[in-house]
Amino acid sequence: MPVVTFLPGYRKATVSEGGTILEAAQKAGLQMNVVCGGQGKCGKCIVQVKSGRFSFDSEKFGRVFSPEEIASGFCLACQATVGGDVHVIVPESSLIQEQKILIEGLGIETEFNPSIWKYYLELTPPTLEDPSPDLTRLLWAIQKKGGPVAEKIYAPLEVLQSAPRVLRDSGWRVTATVALVPGGYRLIDLEKGDTSKNLYGAAVDLGTTTIVVYLRSLVDGKVVGVASNYNRQISCGEDILSRVNYAKKHGLEPLQELAAESINQAITTAANNASIDRDDIYEVVVAGNTIMTHILMGIDPAYMIEEPYVPVVRRYLTTSGARVGLEVDRDAGVFIFPAVSDFIGGDIVADILSCGMAEQEEITLMVDIGTNFEVVLGNKEWMFSCAGAAGPALEGGEVLFGMRANPGAIERVSIDPATLTPSYETINHEKPRGITGSGLIDILAELLRACVIDRTGRINTSIENRRIRTGQYFPEYVVAWKGETAIGKDIVITENDIKNLIMSKASVLGACITLMNQAGITREQIDGIAFSGAFGNYINKENAIMIGLIPEVPIERIRNIGNGAVAGANIALINRKKRKVLDEIARNIAYVELNAESSFMDEYTRAAFLPHTDLGLFPKVEKFLDECRLRSREHP
Amino acid sequence: MPLKALDIYKLLPKKNCKECGDPTCLTFAMKLASGKGDVTKCPYLDEDAKVVLGASTRPPIQLVRVGVGELRFGVGDEFVLFRHEKTFYHPTALMISVSDRWTADEIRVQTRRVASDHLVRVGADLRLNGIAIRNDSGSPEAFGKAVAAVEETATHLPEVLMATDPAAQEAGLASCGHFRPLIHAATMETYPAMCGLAKKFGCPLVISAPDLATLSDLSKRCTAEGVARLMLDVSPSSLADYIPAATLIRRLAICRAQPEFGYPVFLDATRYGNQDTAIALGILKYASVIATETLPPATLRAALTLRQNIYTDPQKPIQMNPGLYPIGSPGKDAPVLMTVNFSLTFFTLQGYLESARVPCYMLIVDTEGLSVLTAVASGKLNETLVKESLKRFDVGSSVTHRKLIIPGYASPLSGRIEEETGWKVLVGPRDAAEIGEYLAQEWKS
Amino acid sequence: MTDGGSDWSGKIGEVVLGATAADGGTRKVSYRVGGDDDLPFLGGCTSGHRPLVAYEICDDPGLWPQIVRDYCGDLVNDPASWSKAAEREYGADLIRLSLTSTRRRGFSDFAALGKTVHDVLHATGLPLIIEGSNDPQIDSEVFQQCGEAGQGERLLLGTAEAGRYRSVAAAALAYGHGVIAQSPIDINLAKQLNILLKEIGVPLDRVVIDPYTGALGYGFEYSYSVMERIRYSALKGDQDLQVPMISAASDSLNIKEVREAEPAIRDEMAVRWEFYAALPAIVAGAAIVVVRHPGTVKALRDAVEKMWPGEVTANAAQGA
Ligand code: SF4
Ligand code: FES
Repeated sequence: MPVVTFLPGYRKATVSEGGTILEAAQKAGLQMNVVCGGQGKCGKCIVQVKSGRFSFDSEKFGRVFSPEEIASGFCLACQATVGGDVHVIVPESSLIQEQKILIEGLGIETEFNPSIWKYYLELTPPTLEDPSPDLTRLLWAIQKKGGPVAEKIYAPLEVLQSAPRVLRDSGWRVTATVALVPGGYRLIDLEKGDTSKNLYGAAVDLGTTTIVVYLRSLVDGKVVGVASNYNRQISCGEDILSRVNYAKKHGLEPLQELAAESINQAITTAANNASIDRDDIYEVVVAGNTIMTHILMGIDPAYMIEEPYVPVVRRYLTTSGARVGLEVDRDAGVFIFPAVSDFIGGDIVADILSCGMAEQEEITLMVDIGTNFEVVLGNKEWMFSCAGAAGPALEGGEVLFGMRANPGAIERVSIDPATLTPSYETINHEKPRGITGSGLIDILAELLRACVIDRTGRINTSIENRRIRTGQYFPEYVVAWKGETAIGKDIVITENDIKNLIMSKASVLGACITLMNQAGITREQIDGIAFSGAFGNYINKENAIMIGLIPEVPIERIRNIGNGAVAGANIALINRKKRKVLDEIARNIAYVELNAESSFMDEYTRAAFLPHTDLGLFPKVEKFLDECRLRSREHP
Repeated sequence: MPLKALDIYKLLPKKNCKECGDPTCLTFAMKLASGKGDVTKCPYLDEDAKVVLGASTRPPIQLVRVGVGELRFGVGDEFVLFRHEKTFYHPTALMISVSDRWTADEIRVQTRRVASDHLVRVGADLRLNGIAIRNDSGSPEAFGKAVAAVEETATHLPEVLMATDPAAQEAGLASCGHFRPLIHAATMETYPAMCGLAKKFGCPLVISAPDLATLSDLSKRCTAEGVARLMLDVSPSSLADYIPAATLIRRLAICRAQPEFGYPVFLDATRYGNQDTAIALGILKYASVIATETLPPATLRAALTLRQNIYTDPQKPIQMNPGLYPIGSPGKDAPVLMTVNFSLTFFTLQGYLESARVPCYMLIVDTEGLSVLTAVASGKLNETLVKESLKRFDVGSSVTHRKLIIPGYASPLSGRIEEETGWKVLVGPRDAAEIGEYLAQEWKS
Repeated sequence: MTDGGSDWSGKIGEVVLGATAADGGTRKVSYRVGGDDDLPFLGGCTSGHRPLVAYEICDDPGLWPQIVRDYCGDLVNDPASWSKAAEREYGADLIRLSLTSTRRRGFSDFAALGKTVHDVLHATGLPLIIEGSNDPQIDSEVFQQCGEAGQGERLLLGTAEAGRYRSVAAAALAYGHGVIAQSPIDINLAKQLNILLKEIGVPLDRVVIDPYTGALGYGFEYSYSVMERIRYSALKGDQDLQVPMISAASDSLNIKEVREAEPAIRDEMAVRWEFYAALPAIVAGAAIVVVRHPGTVKALRDAVEKMWPGEVTANAAQGA
């Protein structure tokens, strides 16, 4: 079988003849960029074959390459098949890179109410005078230590079987682990000596792209370690739909295993950094979207992606670590956040928990933007939610030079309205390679301010400036000249890119307004807008309003709750009382199906304008635009 | 103003007991707000809430049925002034006149024609609704005979008996009273007798008055007499007055300010010397039953089509079945034109293709009824859909070439479609009217 | 939404079409359209102006419906005499000249357009609407030619669309004409286009909305409701929609019902098909309707007279 060697690094993998380079790369453990899931559409899995036999249909898939590149062996890894041993160079840009992943201090405030305890016990050994059974002795000691009353503790057989040895071998010095379970308490572990400090829990955000894990001591609730990594399911498709389709073809197990492995990997990293034994993790709380949590629990998500889109289960779930393949204490409890609907998952319920919406009088609008977006509006009395596809544009997809928040991505831009010269900032201050979502939003807002684009986003090509030109298919604006970049090409934003961005932002704004209409509230009545997720952290809030991504509210009312999913999971991990209210929160959120809501299409069309057709909804932007227009007429 | 979901929610008991069949009171409120729910399903509503919510679901305009059997029609039961607010539910009934001055044969011929005239459009069967028998002779006897002539020709056709003389009505009702004809019309002078007849035979009754004040009075009197199913004939003196009068009645009815106007409107289109105009205005502006003279074929088609247009649900685009449609008898080298399954787009393109006389195929892809422009904008129309459609309808075996003409508005997709399908994409004109010209100039297989 | 009698806060703006000698033009008559402050036909003759019927001719009959070519005979080859017939025989209120020649591939005879416009203006004293190219590549040249040829006559130039409005607008602004703003059957898109025009300096009293009219039975139901919505929103106070509307169900004569009608009733079918879309368009709020069959002009004028019994010439106030 052909051997594929990947350069630099000389990682090797064998694949059968006719296998793709992508398959080999995945076997070799390289995390390639496979945005389209290997369909040859996204052009992100570029490799260069240095030597060896391979075939690649450049007629069909070669659009992203110049003839010279084709001649020198460039091809798409997902489409190129190997015919013998080959050497392949994988450019850095084709690998998934360390992204800025949101991990922050999480200023969460909640009571410490764990649901698991450890008791270090020094027992008096039995005598003829005191021949009470080992178990009685143990339970009494727990009660005396302030634990639950003996009668309420259930001791499973496995623990009883090991108890006599552990007690006697340790000289009656043991640590008992007791967990709160439905209907009472359960003695889940008995260890020799004093291990009472070794009691940890993990809060997990199981995202479609990334996994974030917080390890906390369940003795005092403090954070002891944090780690994150990519969801390894990415190799089965970038977006969630392709993964469900993958499961349809190849069964659910591979995906379930990859999910568990991804969590394990993050837990291991965090545990190692904190010098903790993974077996001392007794609880895992997972917040994830409905499809992700279904997959983790081994429940078929197939029916969620076809009409009428029903999940198998909405309420919270519990299981044990061993049953889902998590490498923690085998009896560790796993708690999965409840969901609202197929599209509003446990991650959003966690967002709501962490932003406090469900506990306040004030009305909050919470927006979580990714390829899909979720919006929740409400307060402690009522909540409306909806979800939709924003398209990948806001994250840099479907945009010619769009990219994720990797080094070299332009993330902030301002444009001089007179000369139209931009100044930009890139991640890690590297030479630019592309533009991230936040950069794109800035560009859109700045081009609007400079009157380069009209409110539908069309570029006014009659402006004489060398940055405005007509590209191969569309008019475009040059953000960075070839010479400044790391990719040897001009980085531009085309009219088509702008159109995609406007369509994405229109979905989000249209959804916000649809919910506001349901509730009958105006923008003035919104006490706060909370951005959840990575997206909100990097964008310029003023520009987000300028282009009409969200309703206009005073800037100071907008905040980022960061990774609300992991924050919510943390809260539920250390405060069991909050777990109880989760189901209720989830149930109280009414879900508005945008496709069935006839007014949504109207609101979408109204929102597909910068910032919105009705400037009355954006009074500040209106004033600003008037000034810009005046200025541009004075200095044409 | 329709109530918002949250306003309704505030009126609900907030027990979240699920007895209404919804998981929470809030979701129940959303259903009510969208007009899809039934308030009575919540057993715990307090009286206030019942008043507020109950009132907004009872139809403000009575449903009135005419005729019996299969051809029976119901009119009224409308909720809005503009169809875009919701939809108009019960299409205007068109009743073709016969006169009791005609011979029995003439009456029979006309009746038969009305009974059989119908046309099929976009899958719907469009037809006239019945016969209006007019007492032009003034003689009750002649009227009775005319009604009998209609009856024996087509018993099942709904009828309007148009006679101002109660005696004539009685003569007519003698032969058809049990088939629930519409009685036209009671006036301030004749209403006691007419009400008597309506009650006796259980027929709906049109009331007619020269102005709205009198009509209101008359309506109250007839209800007091115990006739529950009325229709209103505003008898405007000119067509200029019809729209304001009919609009006012509809307005008063739907805001429930004056229940005496909560009935369907009747329009006699023969009175204004311009029947086409009267019919069009009647269909557009709230007439539920229109009596007309014989309609020439062109008027018949156009009027029925207008009625169909006005009474479709404006929020639901009419969709065509996706598929490969031949135009003429296309050969293996005939052009293939792709477009969306929005009916308007389909028919427009089809029309121009047929008049261009170039045999070809139309490949209709499923954009759920969205037009090209909106389908491109919303992403419904994309390269994957085109690829799947080519495969699903096996276009490759109908033609030997691999060229696909796409609508001008879909040009942004051309590259991606080419890549995805492997077919060469030609961008057609944006205006369907230019397709003939386009094919003549550009098409070489 | 079903509230309110005549408690409207908005009013449709007025647009002037055609310039008489008094205004520096050569038209025999000029019209004001718009000005309504109530729903159509509710305000009596005090609200707005009588709806107008435009007859549409073209400069390249090859792209025109067969039925019109058959009916009008040789006239179709000479826009000037055709327009004269439209005025004198058919009884049109105004003429719309569709420059179909620009739709031919590779069209480049721009000078001919100017001449055609000039000839038509010479042949008829009615105000003129011009429907130009619809290809961004040649728009600028085409509208420039037409605009210039009709300078001072207050033409109505069409068609501006969201993707190509700058050329039409520039010509209209330079030579003092109005603009038709066409959007695909959507109130929001209509509003957006008006905003775009306004933002490049076209005052809304020079704009007429064409919400796009599908033929009866072929999408007319959408157009009808969109027109109603536009009128309603305008009256409710949406300033960006307070402009008059023009409706042209241009596909009417190409649809199946007309093409396949028996020869004996084909013309009648054509007339009814246009009539049953144009009259409802008027009822929905269109200030100008455009038709292509000469017979429809008369049918519509009769209908309008029945519905608008005031002085028929009242709005030709500036007639010479
Ligand atoms: S039955 Fe009434 S109280 Fe119970 S959930 Fe439904 S609306 Fe609420
Ligand atoms: S092109 Fe998308 S993964 Fe290869």
